[in-house]
Amino acid sequence: MNTDYIQSASVQAAIHQANQLLSANDCRGALELCLSAADAYELPPGALCLKIARCYQRLGDTDAMVRWALSAVDAGEEFTVWLACANLLKNVPAGSLKARRTARLAVLSSYTTVQFVPLLQLAALRQGVALEIHESPFGQYQQEVLNPSSATYAFKPDFLLFAVDEREANLPNHCAQPFEAVEKETARWKSLWQGAASNSTATIIQHNFALSPEDALGHLGSRLAGSRYRMLQELNRRLAEEAGENVLLLDCDRIAGTFGKERWFDPRYWLLSRQAVALDALPLLARHTAALLAARLGLSRKCLVLDLDNTLWGGTVGEDGVSGLQIGDGPKGEAYLAFQEYIRALKSKGIILAVCSKNDEAVAKEPFEKHPRMLLRLDDFAVFVANWRPKLENLISISRTLNLGLDSFVFLDDNPAERRAMRQALPAVETPALPDDPALYVRALDRTLLFETAAFTEEDSRRAEQYAARAKADEARAAAGSLAEFYSSLKMQAIIEPISREQLLRVVQLLGKTNQFNLTTRRHSFGTVNEFLKDPSCVHFTARLRDCFTDHGLVALLIAFVQGETLSIDSWLMSCRVIGRTLEFEMLRYLCEQGRERGCRSIRGLYIPTEKNGLVRDLFSDLGFRLIEEKNGTTTWERSLDDESLRQRSFIQRVASFDSVPEEMNDGKLARPA
Amino acid sequence: MANLHDQLEGVFQTIFNNDQLQLRDDMSPPDIPGWDSVAHINLMFGIEQAFGIRFTGDELARLETIGELKRLLASRMR
Repeated sequence: MNTDYIQSASVQAAIHQANQLLSANDCRGALELCLSAADAYELPPGALCLKIARCYQRLGDTDAMVRWALSAVDAGEEFTVWLACANLLKNVPAGSLKARRTARLAVLSSYTTVQFVPLLQLAALRQGVALEIHESPFGQYQQEVLNPSSATYAFKPDFLLFAVDEREANLPNHCAQPFEAVEKETARWKSLWQGAASNSTATIIQHNFALSPEDALGHLGSRLAGSRYRMLQELNRRLAEEAGENVLLLDCDRIAGTFGKERWFDPRYWLLSRQAVALDALPLLARHTAALLAARLGLSRKCLVLDLDNTLWGGTVGEDGVSGLQIGDGPKGEAYLAFQEYIRALKSKGIILAVCSKNDEAVAKEPFEKHPRMLLRLDDFAVFVANWRPKLENLISISRTLNLGLDSFVFLDDNPAERRAMRQALPAVETPALPDDPALYVRALDRTLLFETAAFTEEDSRRAEQYAARAKADEARAAAGSLAEFYSSLKMQAIIEPISREQLLRVVQLLGKTNQFNLTTRRHSFGTVNEFLKDPSCVHFTARLRDCFTDHGLVALLIAFVQGETLSIDSWLMSCRVIGRTLEFEMLRYLCEQGRERGCRSIRGLYIPTEKNGLVRDLFSDLGFRLIEEKNGTTTWERSLDDESLRQRSFIQRVASFDSVPEEMNDGKLARPA
Repeated sequence: MANLHDQLEGVFQTIFNNDQLQLRDDMSPPDIPGWDSVAHINLMFGIEQAFGIRFTGDELARLETIGELKRLLASRMR
């Protein structure tokens, strides 16, 4: 039985009292009562969040209602509460949801998804995505995919979800030719994915097959290649192999195992209403599906900010001294070590690490330098802040140093008071709760799904290093004297070339998540960009930048279309870690060359303002474009191609490859200008 | 359980999104707006969770009146 559902007597009493006040139409009174009951909790129980959301609904405060409905998601995974919260959101106009992204999702399923769909919307909104969903009748997925004029395609989805269960795998109970049977079934799914790709530009989300806990063959099932159990395992493995860049695979078998398979599979509800996944497992499935989707949209968190004392090690370094800390030995020490191990694994998948600690800096660094069992080292952190100022101030300064928005951060601290202060002051920062016992830290952080990533590119594996290099280059800027001297000293080189197939994944990733240097913020999908590449009128290129500190990788791209004698810029963006390096001048120079080659006489650019791209409001003006139209804040700019001169000088050498290593490369030191 | 009625009413209020909903023993599905087959599944599941019991397949499918449901719950919780 799920303990999430057992409510404390005090919460039950508060809700009961609130109901009586609500019956007497005293919404204010009911609200105040519930809020004061909620105050006793770091994460108030779901039922209480729901009641508070209801009170706000009756008081007509939509923003607060949405906020509390979403906090029920953090409270636990109670199906009934989630469903009620999802229903509260149903009538809220999309514009009032204040989501970071919107997306259209078509659901194709082999079982009843009428409950799953609203829960998915709730979970997605918690991740910052307002989802519009089209649901096909279950069991119709093949017809929907293969018919080019199906309702699914008419909906023009950005995502297409195959929510399927094990019964849907076309495999016999036992088979003499298991290899052929698995290949045939793999080919069937591949052809469905291809069918979807040829009729839409949607990204596919495929649930893999959760294996049932019952098997008449018992343990023999895992030894016989021809058993259904083995073939299903093989099918899951083959699907993962075959899933191309356009397919996101959700490992349902793993989630079902985590949840407990005897609870995940409830035959009573399958028989009664074709629920292949038990209702109480749906919130978890929705959370995972939403996390994958949000990751594809570029909403994953990029940086983990860590407290030190009792978060990375046991004890307080300022009082206990380095030798008095618990790290490495004993149950507690091993728990902290395991947590450091997990954090190091996050770093190697591209998560940037930072420290934010209330300590004297020298004291805070001591364990990293002197404790023999410390796993994390000082150079694992891009930024290290230890002082006595409020943590929220430090977090803001870390965000400035790394040039990342607050919504890229996760803050982890063992102290509930610090967490509460952070949540109140900076709600854009995710501040998950940590349990009292460090043995459970890894699980608590893993469960948040905040660092789910949809793909793993070369840039991801090197990001931490690149951000550390950025922080170093900033220090160098202060030391280098004039800006021109600074730029020259960086010995920058760029490779500018048309988008290739190999770069597509990174290109879509950048389109999805770049906010600041992004002129139009058009979130083109994988399929759309793929179409662009085939379009002869499309001029497209990426830029890769290297300096004497690091290879920044693929960091900028531009997509434009030839329209008569005008080359019109559709998208132009640059990763924030290389802003201010004059790369934009080099990109414009390249664009002009391309335009002239194609017989264009002018370049046209568009600036569509968002909350975050104020940085590039004047970019076109700075680059010598002339304003030709302004409409609702959106500005259109033009620059003649007859005019050969580009005023600005870029300090970047354009090269065909990075094979030749410049002198100062990799020595980590900046060459001072003579 | 002294307050079986209140607890059951709470589940109904959550499922039907209606804080004002009050249960009477003679009520049956047509008396409560929104009580369709989907709501029925959600309701029975919500009751199972709230009371920590499991219905049989037959019990899940069939429900005549609130009074009958309460008698069933009471017999399960003895």
